[in-house]
Amino acid sequence: MSKRIAIILGSAILSALFSVSARAHITPPVVLASDREAVVRLLPAATRYFVREVRPSPAEQDAIRQRTGWNPDEDFYRFYVGRTAEGAPVAAIVFLSEFTLHGPVRVAVAVGPDGKVTGASVVEVTEESYTWVKPLLDGGFLQRFAGHDARDALAQAENVGGSMPRFYAGVIARLIARAATLYEVTTRSN
Amino acid sequence: MRGMRLSQLPPSGKVFCTLFLAGIGCGALAAFTQAATAVGVSPAAVRDSLAPEAPMTDLHHGQMSAEKEIDLSQISETAKVFIRTPLLIQTSHTHLFGQTLIAGLLALIFLFSSVGERSKCVIGALPFAGTLIDIGGMWATRFVSPSLSVLVTAGGTLFALGYVAIAVLSIYDLWFRKEHLV
Repeated sequence: MSKRIAIILGSAILSALFSVSARAHITPPVVLASDREAVVRLLPAATRYFVREVRPSPAEQDAIRQRTGWNPDEDFYRFYVGRTAEGAPVAAIVFLSEFTLHGPVRVAVAVGPDGKVTGASVVEVTEESYTWVKPLLDGGFLQRFAGHDARDALAQAENVGGSMPRFYAGVIARLIARAATLYEVTTRSN
Repeated sequence: MRGMRLSQLPPSGKVFCTLFLAGIGCGALAAFTQAATAVGVSPAAVRDSLAPEAPMTDLHHGQMSAEKEIDLSQISETAKVFIRTPLLIQTSHTHLFGQTLIAGLLALIFLFSSVGERSKCVIGALPFAGTLIDIGGMWATRFVSPSLSVLVTAGGTLFALGYVAIAVLSIYDLWFRKEHLV
């Protein structure tokens, strides 16, 4: 009788262990910077900070979709705006995410009053994707975007070695292009 | 169950059941630590990571934009994880499969314990109920009300209580209960 119990328990445990290991699982998140750290890092010339929250109108959503292929479907988007003591704008930062097969990638992008990117910071990836994103960060990939606007941000992802780093370079470039477009359409033009 | 008892298992069966219970206990501790460091386990921390972001300005419904000056201290300095809907879907399916399988195996071991049928039903159901309340609470926090983040903490606690009760009672039966021959 006890042999029967052992067989039932053993089979159940084995089948469960096989099915658990077989299914895909997103690796834990790796948070590279808090929001405050990213804002301070990307707005070094600012002495005053503002929050500007925008709700894209249907026409603005269409414009963003046409330019980037991205659907800005959040209720609102938040820009952290840095200004000098005299009130002159330095740059505006927005945090955007994209969800890949390996989990989320979250990027902070600073856009100057002229619509050009002044800096970007990857703030969150996952343990798995970090192994592909780290070489990009170490190689100064994010510096490529400084001085470029939304139109030529995507081109900065070219000439990246390795298929997975190239994939994540594309993800980061898309997020930066979206951020610059979002700023251009909702804030700069108003 | 049908006269079969954990205490009647051969030594190999007792060892395997004990190792399984110990492994799940270690896994639960690791999962708790991961949740505590990545998101936080208090209802407030869960709410911060799951609930839709509230405007910092007085952006009303229908208003297109709003701006206000802030102090840097108003920007989050905790390196927290934002769980948005796509991640919530992924987290839900992996945890529902994984935790329900674990709950099922715990219940299977517990079926052969000497505890009465009513207690068996209640204690064995705790990990299942905890899983559903935990994952359901995440969705409720995101889409019904941020105040329902308390369900996530309650669900996790229920799962842990169920595991501890099942592990303690089963290990007692496996190694310390003396069978009386009739």
